[in-house]
Amino acid sequence: MSTLQHLQNEFINHLLSEPSDIVQHIQSTPTYSASERLNIYAYAYKARLKEALETDYEKLHNYLGDEQFDQLLELYIKKHPSKHTSLRHFGTSMVTLLSEEAPYKQLPVLAEIATIEAAFADSFDAKDANVVTLDNLAALPPAAWETLNFSFQPSLQLPPLSFNSFDIWKALGNEQAPPETEPFEQANMWVIWRDIELISRYRPLSEAEAAALSLAVVGMPFPTICEELLNHFTEDETPLKAISFLQNWVQEGLISMFHF
Amino acid sequence: MTNNRPFLGFGLGLRTDHYQHVIEKKPQVDWFEIISENYMVPGGKPLANLDKIRANYPMVMHGVSMSIGSTDPLNMQYLKDLKALIQRVEPFWYSDHLCWTHVKQTNSHDLLPLPYNEATIAHIVDRIGQVQDFIGRPMLIENLSSYVTYNESEMPEWQFFNDIAKRSGCYLLLDINNIFVSANNHHFAPVDYINGVDIDKVMQFHLAGHSYQGDMIIDTHDHDVCDPVWDLYAIALKRFGAVSTMIERDDNIPDFPELRAELAIAEKIAADVLTPNELLIAGQPVLQGAA
Repeated sequence: MSTLQHLQNEFINHLLSEPSDIVQHIQSTPTYSASERLNIYAYAYKARLKEALETDYEKLHNYLGDEQFDQLLELYIKKHPSKHTSLRHFGTSMVTLLSEEAPYKQLPVLAEIATIEAAFADSFDAKDANVVTLDNLAALPPAAWETLNFSFQPSLQLPPLSFNSFDIWKALGNEQAPPETEPFEQANMWVIWRDIELISRYRPLSEAEAAALSLAVVGMPFPTICEELLNHFTEDETPLKAISFLQNWVQEGLISMFHF
Repeated sequence: MTNNRPFLGFGLGLRTDHYQHVIEKKPQVDWFEIISENYMVPGGKPLANLDKIRANYPMVMHGVSMSIGSTDPLNMQYLKDLKALIQRVEPFWYSDHLCWTHVKQTNSHDLLPLPYNEATIAHIVDRIGQVQDFIGRPMLIENLSSYVTYNESEMPEWQFFNDIAKRSGCYLLLDINNIFVSANNHHFAPVDYINGVDIDKVMQFHLAGHSYQGDMIIDTHDHDVCDPVWDLYAIALKRFGAVSTMIERDDNIPDFPELRAELAIAEKIAADVLTPNELLIAGQPVLQGAA
C-alpha cells in the first residue's frame, strides 16, 4: 500500500469514527493540536451529511422532532456511509433503515413518510420524456385498441401505502398537527409525477384506477386493463370508465408514448 | 501575463435561489459558473433552468466530486456524466479541486487535502492526464482551504500546484480566499503564495467569504468577501493581469442585486489595477482540443 493510500484510508477512518492512526501524520501548531485540526473535518463531515438528510426528509424531521430526528441521522450516517458521488443520493437508504432498524420499524408510518419524500425527489429530476396529447389519442386507428399499451413518464411514482401517511405528509407540509396514524384495510395508492410545466403533482387513486394504472405501467394492453376493471364496474360501465381513466392520464401528462 | 489567456470578465456562481431573477430579469453579469454535479441528473427543472440561463450567458463548469487525488480508481461513470454535461453546456472550461473526496468507495463529500510531495505529484499528474484524454480538453484545478498539514509534505502548496500544472498540461483556478484562509491556518504569508504561482497557468480566480472559529478560519462561503481578501485580489491582478474572476456564495445567500453589487467591487479593483486594454473581454471558446 502506498503512503498516500495509507493516509487516505486512515483519514476516512477518522471521519467515520473508526480506529485510525491519522493523527500521527498531522502537524500540530502551538494554537491547534493535530487532533483539533482533524476534528474540523470530522465535524464538517457529519454536519454536511446531516444537512443533506434534513433537506431530503423535511417532513420526517417535522414528524419526529429535532431530537429524535438527530438520533436517526446519527444512526443513518453510521450504518450507511455515502457510496455516492452526489449528496443528492446519500439519503436513498432511509426507507430501508426505517423498515429494518428498531425502534423505527415498529412505526411503519415513518418508512412511508420517507417513501413519499423520496418519491417526490426522484420525480423532480427524473429523465425528461415526450408527452402524448388527446389529439394523439383521438387519432389512434381502430385496430390499435386491441393491443394498445403505454410508456409512462419516468417521473411517475406509485408509492403503495398501508397507512394514512399521505394525509400525515400533507399536514406536516402545511405546518398542521398530523392526524393519528390509521392503517388502511388494503394498500392505498397515490400517483406522483412531474407535469409538462415541470411542476410536481400528486393525487390519490381510487381502488379501480389504482388497479388499472398498476397494470398499465407494467405494459399490460388496454383490453387486459378493461378485464381488470370488470372486477370494479358493470359490463356496461367498464368501457367508459376505462376510457375516462386513459383520458385523464393523457391530460395529466402521465403517458409518454402509445404502442400498438 | 500570457497573451493567449482568455478573459471572460466578472462572473457569479449560479445558485438556485437566483434562478428566477436571472431568467426573468437577465441581469448584467459577464458569465456564470455552475456546480457541475447539480446538473448531472437525468432531467427535470435543474437542466431546464440551466438551458434557459445558458441561452443568455457564457458559462464555466466547476466540479466538487472528481476526487483527482484519490487512490481509488477514477470514477468512469462520473467522467462520462461530466463529459455529457460539457457537451450540453459548452463551457469555456471545466474545473475541479486539487484534493481527494473519497477512498475505499466511501465519499466524504468534502475537499480533503493531500500531502505535498513528489509521489503525490506523480499520482495526480497521471490521473489528470487520464481525465484530459477522456474529456478531450484540458482542465483547471483549484487550490483548497485546508486545516491540516501532513508530516509527509515536502514543499509549499504553490510549488506542488505549479509542478502538477506544468507536468499535466492543466491550468490553475486560483482561489484568493482559499489562499488567505490557508495562510492564516498554516502560518505563511499569502503574498508568498501569490508570488510563487506560475503566471501563465492561472486561468480563473475565485473570491468568497469565510468564518472565524477561534483563530482558525473556515471556508464557509457564507459572508461577503472581506477587505484583506480584496487587498490580496488587487495584488494578484498586478501579478497575473486580467484573469476571469467570480464570487462564490453557498450559504446565507443574499438577493441577486446585493451579490451583483459585491461583484462590482471586483470590477472596480480591476479597473484601478489594470489598463482598459487588458480588460477587453475575449469572445471565442477556448481550451478546446487535446490537453
